[in-house]
Amino acid sequence: MLSWLDANLVSILNGVAIGFLLFILAIGLSLIFGMMDVLNLAHGALFLLGAYLAWAIAGGDPSWGGFLLAIAVAALVGLASGGVLAVAVEPLRRRGHLDQALLTLGVALVAAELLALLFGRDVRGIDPPPGLDRGVVVLGDQYPVYRLALIGVGLVLAVVAHLVVERTTVGSLIRATVADRDMVSAIGVAQHRVRFAVLGLGSLMAAVAGVLGGPIYGARPGLDATVLILALVVVVIGGLGSVRGALVAALLIGQIESLGRAVLADAASFILFGALAIVLILWPQGLFARQGAR
Amino acid sequence: MKGWSAGAPAVVLLAAAPLFLAPYATTTLTRMLVFALLVASLDLLVGFAGLPSLGHAAYFGVGAYAAAWFTKNVTTTGPVPLVALAAGAVAAAATGWVAVRTHGVFFLMLTLAIGEIVAQAAETWESVTGGSNGLYGVPATRIGGAPLDVAGVYWYVLAAFLLGFVALWLVSRSPFGAALRGIRDNEPRMRALGYATRWYKYAAFVIAGGMAGMAGGLLAAQQRLVTPADLGFTTAALALLAVIIGGAGSLWGPCLGAALVIVVRDVVGPDIDGHGPLLLGLVFILVVYLLPRGAAGIRVGVRR
Amino acid sequence: MNDRRFSRRGALGLLGAAGAAVALPGCGSSVGGGSGDGGGGGGGGSVKIGLIIPQAGVYAPVGADLKRGWDLWLERNGGKLGDHPVSTVVGDEGESPQTGVPAVQKLIQNDRCDILVGVVSSSTALGVRDMVIESKKLLLISNAGAVDITGKAASPYLWRTSFTNNQVSAAMGRHLASQGFKDAVYTIAPDYAAGAESLAAFAKAFQAGGGTIAGSAKPPFGKTQDYQPFLSAIRASGAKATFCFFAGAEAVAFVKQYSQFGLAGAIPLYGTGFLTEGGVLPAQGDAALGVQTTLHYSSELDNQANKDFVAAYQARYNEAPTCYAVQTWDAALVLNRALKSAGGLDGDSVSKALGSVGTIDDSPRGPWSFDGQSPKQKFYLRKVDKRDGRYVNTVLADLGELARDA
Repeated sequence: MLSWLDANLVSILNGVAIGFLLFILAIGLSLIFGMMDVLNLAHGALFLLGAYLAWAIAGGDPSWGGFLLAIAVAALVGLASGGVLAVAVEPLRRRGHLDQALLTLGVALVAAELLALLFGRDVRGIDPPPGLDRGVVVLGDQYPVYRLALIGVGLVLAVVAHLVVERTTVGSLIRATVADRDMVSAIGVAQHRVRFAVLGLGSLMAAVAGVLGGPIYGARPGLDATVLILALVVVVIGGLGSVRGALVAALLIGQIESLGRAVLADAASFILFGALAIVLILWPQGLFARQGAR
Repeated sequence: MKGWSAGAPAVVLLAAAPLFLAPYATTTLTRMLVFALLVASLDLLVGFAGLPSLGHAAYFGVGAYAAAWFTKNVTTTGPVPLVALAAGAVAAAATGWVAVRTHGVFFLMLTLAIGEIVAQAAETWESVTGGSNGLYGVPATRIGGAPLDVAGVYWYVLAAFLLGFVALWLVSRSPFGAALRGIRDNEPRMRALGYATRWYKYAAFVIAGGMAGMAGGLLAAQQRLVTPADLGFTTAALALLAVIIGGAGSLWGPCLGAALVIVVRDVVGPDIDGHGPLLLGLVFILVVYLLPRGAAGIRVGVRR
Repeated sequence: MNDRRFSRRGALGLLGAAGAAVALPGCGSSVGGGSGDGGGGGGGGSVKIGLIIPQAGVYAPVGADLKRGWDLWLERNGGKLGDHPVSTVVGDEGESPQTGVPAVQKLIQNDRCDILVGVVSSSTALGVRDMVIESKKLLLISNAGAVDITGKAASPYLWRTSFTNNQVSAAMGRHLASQGFKDAVYTIAPDYAAGAESLAAFAKAFQAGGGTIAGSAKPPFGKTQDYQPFLSAIRASGAKATFCFFAGAEAVAFVKQYSQFGLAGAIPLYGTGFLTEGGVLPAQGDAALGVQTTLHYSSELDNQANKDFVAAYQARYNEAPTCYAVQTWDAALVLNRALKSAGGLDGDSVSKALGSVGTIDDSPRGPWSFDGQSPKQKFYLRKVDKRDGRYVNTVLADLGELARDA
């Protein structure tokens, strides 16, 4: 047992790191779905936008200034894109959630092509800022510091999200909207403002996740589809709209992808979707099925 | 019977097409028919049973691989589309039971997972499926001893397409189809009325899977090549796109949607430097906006 | 309710009709004509070439390079192949045979091309084989590397100016065995046909030279962004070196992570040349320094033909050429020679003429010749260095010639 652990401890640690990266990546999607019941299928494209911004601003010459600037720019551009999405979705608000999701899908297709036109079709690499680009010896072997930093960022994000949702007025509004949207509207909160705020915030998070994930995922055409599917898997397994569920699901999937691939080397290609299928077969509503009046 | 009066001239036009179309246009039309049958079978699931599936291409692929293998190793004449149909139906039966236990987004993701697993199996199971290179060198189908040429393949595919489409149409018009639409609109109420809704959904899944398999068999005959790309997420997503564009729930609307998708991908796309997906996305957005009420008749919840 | 539906149906019908008008560029008849037989594309001695390259999707950068090599040769040689003025029609291969097969069909049936050049993906090449044979057109493949194309599935109409996956890997296998790495080499490549072929060829050549393989891994193709589990396995295997085959985004991710996890210093990385060729090199950055690869070309090759080629390419496109550009450059070069002596533009004549082309000694990659319709050529050992702020593949050694089924 001990020798198995010794051989695989790095994979377990890596699973935690990748898990937190997936959490950072998926939380925007979870938020939007939780509050608006709309699956924002443009999430992957927003992530890719953030990644390309990171390359354009900080790619050639990585520095802390450049990296932080990239985060700030991605946040602003993400927020603006969210606003555009909110405006685009507005005429469909009476037509049901499926239509809104389909619209975001169309936007995703267009956005991905526009990104390819803007930034070219080559694969781009992004380096972490200095200080975080080293490796450090963990459990006997070298491990990239940047991934450890991601664990830190993910933890902070999870704590902040928890505090905001549980302890603030805005948070109680979020919880109320998730539980019963019509009632919230009845007590005087303007729905279109909520929509604007939620889509803006969710898109902001997606774009910033693109910058943070840049040093690991890079930026390339097709990354948007990959990331979207990963985020969807996390959000669906974790139960739609639950931040806690998204965290647990992300860590679970991170572990499956890391330790799972190390241990089940031959079945590595089947692991992710096999796990998704098993979870959905056993728990058809996800791990943290949501309660609330609908 | 209004359907027939609109349908008959269309069928005549389609049948006469090779007589006045250049060979490439005919092969494009053949490809449209193959994809249209797949999309129509998906419409049975999406438009009639209210089950949006992102993994339907898996059964398309299973049918295609079965037909290709059959043609290569057994015979080039004979009821290859029926073999494909059976293969697709069996695959759907094997996977559908767990799928129909879920709803909405969960059904979408579970079918996606099933589709991806099947696609991965096609890539890995090299001895049977040829791995990532697929099954190439599928011999031309023979009717009456002679291999089919461009026009022959077209008529063969057209005949099979019409049979499949009519079958789907009859299913949709039957009491079974009516029950499906009831389940789509309000499943709890149907259950209260005594319908075993899960069995109905399962049956729809298997029928749709079988038809998708038959479409796959036609693909093998037309393309003479089957690769994992044919049953991957891209094909499934394009099929769903075509259903939405054409209007789910009408069976022939999605066929037009399929034709549009093929035109954009194969005809217009190369002319605009490979930016086909951009055009498709714009068309999709336009369609979503211009649809007057809901996604072509899909209703979630009670009809007002 | 009903007329709303009709308006969308009507609009859709209109759209379909418009699409049909676009899609059917000409009347004709598909009955009794067969597919694409009949006269060549151009009149008056000109030749119509169909260039099949990916313009969208994962392989688009490779496609762009292929086109540049082709265009450059024609520009510098008066736009003629063997005294025939050339008109090139580009077909978009896309990412898979799903789009590749219709693209080739279009070039044959619709555009009536005489000769086809290109094709990046091996599955597309194998997929269009029957079509090419039946229409009796020559396909000069300028990238796809599957051995079967000129092996099991060979045909007089399928020629190749690029490489076989076997050659590139066997070159490294031979080299490592002779360098004393007999102890242990770990092999890793993505789980698809090209990866499997590469590893098998490497193992065969390496073990023939007395080497032992410490272990092997096949990360899922196109689905792996994080290589940590595999890197840990490499470390744990006790290997003295790693041999890999990756291309495109996977090459960038693997090389960067190989360095980030600290393996780069301890376990030297070797690979096929695609690991560090073209656009991936700047993306890998410093992580690629010191990586050694084998390939049939490097922009740093020291022969006159290459010096001229690189200068012309640099002047025209403002970047260094890649092996992909050379492959289509050579395709044009070879067709030029063949068409000078060919009796016609149909597949049979061109195929016969290609067979008597002999040794091509003015190619940027060095002298090579056709061996079973695929190049028998020299392979070079290259190392990634930084020179004048740019990353380049400097040539360390000439490893000698390898046949196509090495």
